[in-house]
Amino acid sequence: MTDSAAVKKEISKNISRISLDGAGYVDARFYQDDSSETILLYDGDLEANDTTVESGIGVRVLWGGAWGFAATSDLSSLRSCFDKALLNAKTASELVKVPLFMGDRDPITGSYSSPVAVDPFTVSLEDKLGFLTRLDADLVDDFILKRIVYANFQKKKIHFQNSDGSEINKDLVNVFGMMMVMSLDSDGEMQRRSMSLYSTGDGTSGWKMITEPVLFAEHSSRIKSELKGLIKADTLEYGRKSVILLPGQGHLQVHETIGHPLELDRILGYELSYAGGSFVNLDSFGKLRYGSDKLFASSYGGILNSPGSFGYDDDGTPERDYLLIDRGILVNALTSRAMVNEANEKAKREVFSQSGGVARATSFYRAPIDRMTNVNILPGDDGSLEDIISSTEDGIVVDNPVSWSIGSNREHFHFGCEIAWEVKNGEKTRILRNPTYQGHTLEFYNSLSAVGDKSTWRVELVDNCGKGEPNQVMQIGHGVPVVKFDDVIIGERK
Amino acid sequence: MLDANIRKILMEVRDQAASEGIQATLALHHEKSHLMRIGNSSISLNTSEDLTRLDIEVTDGRKQASQTFLGMIEETETIRNVLDKAVEKAKAAAPKTYDPIPDEVEESVYEEIQYDEALANLDPGVKADAYREIFSKLGDNFNYSGSWSSGSVEVCMITTANRNEVYHRGTDQLFTVVLKHPGKKWELINTQTGWRASDFSVEKTLKELGRLIPVYEKNPGFKVEPGEYTVIFGSDAVSEIANLSVFTGFMGRGWEEKQSWTSQNKPGDEVLGKNITLSDDPFNPQTFMFGFDMSGRKRKHFPLIENGVLMNLMYDSSTAARYGREPTGHDTRSMGIVMNTGDGFECPLEAVRDMGRVLYIPALHYMNLPSRSKGIFTGSSRFNALLIEDGKMVSPIFSTRITDSFQNVLGNVSVISSVSESVNGSNTYGRRMPVAISVPSYIVAEGVKITDSADSF
Ligand SMILES: [Zn+2]
Repeated sequence: MTDSAAVKKEISKNISRISLDGAGYVDARFYQDDSSETILLYDGDLEANDTTVESGIGVRVLWGGAWGFAATSDLSSLRSCFDKALLNAKTASELVKVPLFMGDRDPITGSYSSPVAVDPFTVSLEDKLGFLTRLDADLVDDFILKRIVYANFQKKKIHFQNSDGSEINKDLVNVFGMMMVMSLDSDGEMQRRSMSLYSTGDGTSGWKMITEPVLFAEHSSRIKSELKGLIKADTLEYGRKSVILLPGQGHLQVHETIGHPLELDRILGYELSYAGGSFVNLDSFGKLRYGSDKLFASSYGGILNSPGSFGYDDDGTPERDYLLIDRGILVNALTSRAMVNEANEKAKREVFSQSGGVARATSFYRAPIDRMTNVNILPGDDGSLEDIISSTEDGIVVDNPVSWSIGSNREHFHFGCEIAWEVKNGEKTRILRNPTYQGHTLEFYNSLSAVGDKSTWRVELVDNCGKGEPNQVMQIGHGVPVVKFDDVIIGERK
Repeated sequence: MLDANIRKILMEVRDQAASEGIQATLALHHEKSHLMRIGNSSISLNTSEDLTRLDIEVTDGRKQASQTFLGMIEETETIRNVLDKAVEKAKAAAPKTYDPIPDEVEESVYEEIQYDEALANLDPGVKADAYREIFSKLGDNFNYSGSWSSGSVEVCMITTANRNEVYHRGTDQLFTVVLKHPGKKWELINTQTGWRASDFSVEKTLKELGRLIPVYEKNPGFKVEPGEYTVIFGSDAVSEIANLSVFTGFMGRGWEEKQSWTSQNKPGDEVLGKNITLSDDPFNPQTFMFGFDMSGRKRKHFPLIENGVLMNLMYDSSTAARYGREPTGHDTRSMGIVMNTGDGFECPLEAVRDMGRVLYIPALHYMNLPSRSKGIFTGSSRFNALLIEDGKMVSPIFSTRITDSFQNVLGNVSVISSVSESVNGSNTYGRRMPVAISVPSYIVAEGVKITDSADSF
């Protein structure tokens, strides 16, 4: 059965059949196309020229408060895929202490398409290589030992139906780009400087995005000159100072220590055996001082062209823009339907008024789990990067992660970055290499002392967030300004 | 099982391609996966997938491309279409500055030595029953989570170089249960691995957790102040450290590109302690054994470190081609890393009886590498971690961070267990491909750097 109209009809029939059988909820995601193309130039050599094309259907059945899931590429055996999901749910329902429920919903009919002016899958390989090879040529220099230029294009055509009667079609396009230069420092240690494609939050997310010079290519000369300084730089010494995070680093800080701890499935204990839990609990909402008054964090943020913008989640909930942290106080979490219901029931009060629309699966053969969307820090009123530096007595500015390691409840963290600049008495002075900083999440965000304005804000794109069992990689975005934290432990003890 | 017909039509397409002068590698990967996930003492997900992937790589002189297809593969036409796309992409590719080394199946291989029908077809109800029994025997006052992944993988590969075919079929499982105290928030874990259904037993889990629960129940958490400590690393932590040290120290690519912590050394140099021996051994039954790699080369016992001395570096065929080396059978996602055992007592507590206060860190959470060139890693304790005094379990320890180097930790090992354990290192991102590492059940390392700790578990 290759006719997609016939497949959709067959899906409807099976959803009705399984619902009539007594299932609490049923949905199916039919991926007509899930394509990914990766191009990697290593020192100019085309080391990866890979395309993956996937198609199939994933079926989720809730029976007796437990999920069963099954997936297949064989569209001629749709009925047996539904039966398998049902059978799995029935087996699961034999061991249920906390029954899950999705709640009743009015049906939604909708569609969402990523804003794309030029579909990257219509651009020829020659043109893609032409663009990336020119970029690689810009990275060449005598002192540079290694160069990497990377691009990844993704396209997903998904049809969703559920037992609420909802029907949603999504055409998602994501683009990722990265360039890196490497060279040896005076100790023979490889140093690197990189730049990833970012977004301003509006505009398109297709081929036009990666070819927009300001978002990517024009940073080549900057990273080269920064690397030149880095290989001659001194090592960052251990101490306590202010740390100013550029968005290249700030987005990962937000990802790991605001995004993940606020995913409701982690808070409720559904990730304990793998990704971990959260130091946040249901009593924290509306009360916990997560950060200083300057901290405002949101989910989704109305960002148009980010992999964390997808219209409707995989529960059939429209994506929505809301605050997670309001003036430093924790007010909401990253939530999906069943998790909201469970949290409210467990707390015996309405902790969450509605789903945040964050249930997402990475592919047709994985079941949806709570994933951060675009988790953002809103721009503040402390001016430009220069303004923030000039008001800093003793600190460092850091950019781009090299290493990240976070405690299992997200209560503490250790980050290594590509580069640091020393700040003394309001002036950026020398470059420092091998910068690291560490902290405890709440203490750290409560030391937030400056938040840059809109001129410092950008959307960083993440293509490799891992979570869940079976494991799932997800693509998301983070809109972040320049942020400054005081009295942070930097460097390593001797 | 991979339909015999699919393998036949794969060979037909190979023959067509060979007759047309196309240079290609064609591989099928079939998995039947099942995973039961536990959250809040309930089965939170029960999932099955039956997926077949086709991977085709085409080499056109110095130009290469690959195409992977996951969908319905029933007909010659489907495989041919994927091949044609790869051919087209290879034509349009930019040529490399070196000659790729062609894939070639050295000799036909059919292996299924680690295939267990009972595990391949394990009834999910068996898993549900096992969890139920564990919950009831260890008590209702804990919150349980976990997962149990099991399944089978088949890999079949041919190239246009000849009509030889390699075929592998195997089963694998990874069982995990996590027990959390709802009030005190500590977490204990137990895992089991293997390729046979009978490798799992409820009793093993009950015994292991039953030993730890009283220490955790009776004693408050201990905050470890930063400093240098003697640490017993349990098998999970040993496998994490050994594995990361291998991937960042002994891969030809990282070494050639001066990004590895061994880049300033060469084979023959002493890089770790004299009591450390590491190898890649496809014949070790505590690993998932793959007798060939995905370039068609036969895999063999491959010494990496012998008594602390760097012996060999591992080259996949593209790194070998790029740097003018010989490929070593490492175009694989499933190496069989083995760290040799020593002569330590079976029980780690006995091994540290005369050492006063030591930390027992059986697993490391979220390891990463602040400096790959210097071999510096960081990660924190999580499950089952204990303060030990004079060989006695004293109290659980709060989340504690180690930031140290491979050279220091694996250079100052005073005791190595005489017993080996298999640690399952598989992930379930993308395709199923089991990996296990065989390591001593514990090592004792001196002067390990603790750099931070929390007030909570
Ligand atoms: Zn993540």
